[in-house]
Amino acid sequence: MTSPITIALPKGRLLEESLSLLAEAGFPLPATESRKLVIDSANGSVHYILAKPWDVPVYVEHGAADLGIVGLDVLRERRLDVYEPLLLPVGYCRLVVAGPSSFSSASLRLQSVLRVATKFPNLTTAYFRREGISAEIIGLSGSVELGPLVGLADLIVDLVQTGTTLRENGLVELHTILESQGVLIANRASYRLHKALLHEMIAALNKAVSSKSV
Amino acid sequence: MMEWGRVLFQSNLEHALPRGVSDRFYEAARQRRALEEQLAELFRRWGYREFIPPMFEYAETLSTEANQLESEMYRFVDRDGQTLALRPDMTIPTARLAGSKLYDQPFPQRFFYRGSVFRYAEPQAGRQREFTQAGIELIGAAGAAADGESIILALEALRTAGLRHFRLTLGQMAFIHGLLAELELAPPEEQALLDAIDRKSQPNLLAILGELRLTAAQRRAVQTLPTLTGEENVLARAEKIALNKQMRRAVENLAEIEAVLDGYQVKEAVSLDLAEVRGRKYYTGITFECFAEGFGDKIGSGGRYDHLVERFGPARPAVGFALNVDSLLYARRRQDVAPPPTPPRIFAQLSLTESYIQKVAWLRGQGFAVRNACRHYSPEALRQNAAAHGEEGVLLFDEASGQAQLWWHDWPAPRPLTPECLAEVKP
Repeated sequence: MTSPITIALPKGRLLEESLSLLAEAGFPLPATESRKLVIDSANGSVHYILAKPWDVPVYVEHGAADLGIVGLDVLRERRLDVYEPLLLPVGYCRLVVAGPSSFSSASLRLQSVLRVATKFPNLTTAYFRREGISAEIIGLSGSVELGPLVGLADLIVDLVQTGTTLRENGLVELHTILESQGVLIANRASYRLHKALLHEMIAALNKAVSSKSV
Repeated sequence: MMEWGRVLFQSNLEHALPRGVSDRFYEAARQRRALEEQLAELFRRWGYREFIPPMFEYAETLSTEANQLESEMYRFVDRDGQTLALRPDMTIPTARLAGSKLYDQPFPQRFFYRGSVFRYAEPQAGRQREFTQAGIELIGAAGAAADGESIILALEALRTAGLRHFRLTLGQMAFIHGLLAELELAPPEEQALLDAIDRKSQPNLLAILGELRLTAAQRRAVQTLPTLTGEENVLARAEKIALNKQMRRAVENLAEIEAVLDGYQVKEAVSLDLAEVRGRKYYTGITFECFAEGFGDKIGSGGRYDHLVERFGPARPAVGFALNVDSLLYARRRQDVAPPPTPPRIFAQLSLTESYIQKVAWLRGQGFAVRNACRHYSPEALRQNAAAHGEEGVLLFDEASGQAQLWWHDWPAPRPLTPECLAEVKP
């Protein structure tokens, strides 16, 4: 069966960077103006799925997409079973613990009750457990930085690129949990079944990545 | 308003099922049983005999220190305070049987099984908490002939299931064990290294290598490991980086297995992957995973486990595999493979006349599925009822004349039941 390869791309901030990386690697690209969620490349040899970033690894794990581009933050949070052959020089950011400046000198371990708002409950739970800090994790789906302002939480765990949003909300970075960047992921079965084709694509991307980082 | 009320009444959510289990009925149930039976028949023809283990036993029996499934077992307490567990796989019960009951019987012993296993796991990629396995264990034989037999039989099983596009990747855990023994890493370092290899993450592997103090030969071996996949000269390259006797022996074993596979002409469906590190606490020699086009996860896996049977009796080398029957069925649908045909179904009028009862029995003997009516229907009502049940034909009977008529769904009128008219609709 020579079905075309399907690549899941994240809508949003990673999309433009991902597309330019794919272009450099010589992949046939989708028509970007399209609002469709499933697009074929010009010569039909690659299907693209435009998915929410959080869903990209789900498509890949189930084999609905053979390859995907996603942030390490999302990949580690969702803990899905995929191969991750390549780190990509896109989407750099940090997952950090942040809070009001009053927390910056205090040891979090000595706080008896801490409430932490985050979009990343799994990574947050794992981090606080590893550090021996007891915390109540409050799962939110966005605008996490509001948590401390409205009294929902003491601290937040969120992604930071420049730190502007944190500063605007009177928060300071306390600890870094994860240095994140884009990562190419592959479905475990596709990696076996379409081995030659996928390896060729991964090698092409790898070449584009290394030329970029020099 | 009526419709709204009825819907609420009909779907009573208090009787919903817990996560990870499902009802199988109609075609799904039939197809699963049919596939189980096809696989069982294949295994029988290779000289395997069926083992039906209990659904639950002592948790202590099922949990081995080498068993990663342990954290996924469903445990519960018996009335006498003993902890029991639902079987998380079929291999451990088979090893227990071979070790504790059959120890003085001639070996090797060959067993096959099919049935539900239970694992408490987050439902991922369609994995259920109760799922059906069909597989074999070949206990008491070491070496490439036995390894090869389990691989060939796994491929035969995929073919028997009707799959057209599938692949088996073959690894050798002794190669990994030999390498790890040579590296002598601290447990966290070893775990990080294995994770990077398992996720095929070249960047992570390089980062870890940067932190480890290794000899040049060790470094070269670790760096080469992820490239030891595919078809071409994998074994020659593996031989070159082998650091000790265990690693060299593992490569030899794979070469011998390749010769077995050549003999059966199945080599094109098999690719080597020496970087496969999953299940290393359980497996001692070959490991393999099966993949099929249309399914994003493995549909089966197996390998050699030479230290399991000794937990229950005399030490015995052993090799085996299990396929996930539900995944096989899914992949088969995705590959547009037609399921085995259903017997045509007929709805038969109620009558206790002797000649009619004989005719119905005759129809059943001809391979039709005949459902008896529980009350008398008019011919039209009989047809409507049959259509609602998805049955293709009805059997009418006139008690006065003693004449039986068959009315197939696409016939304009009923016809007298004769072998000729039956031939038209027979499977």
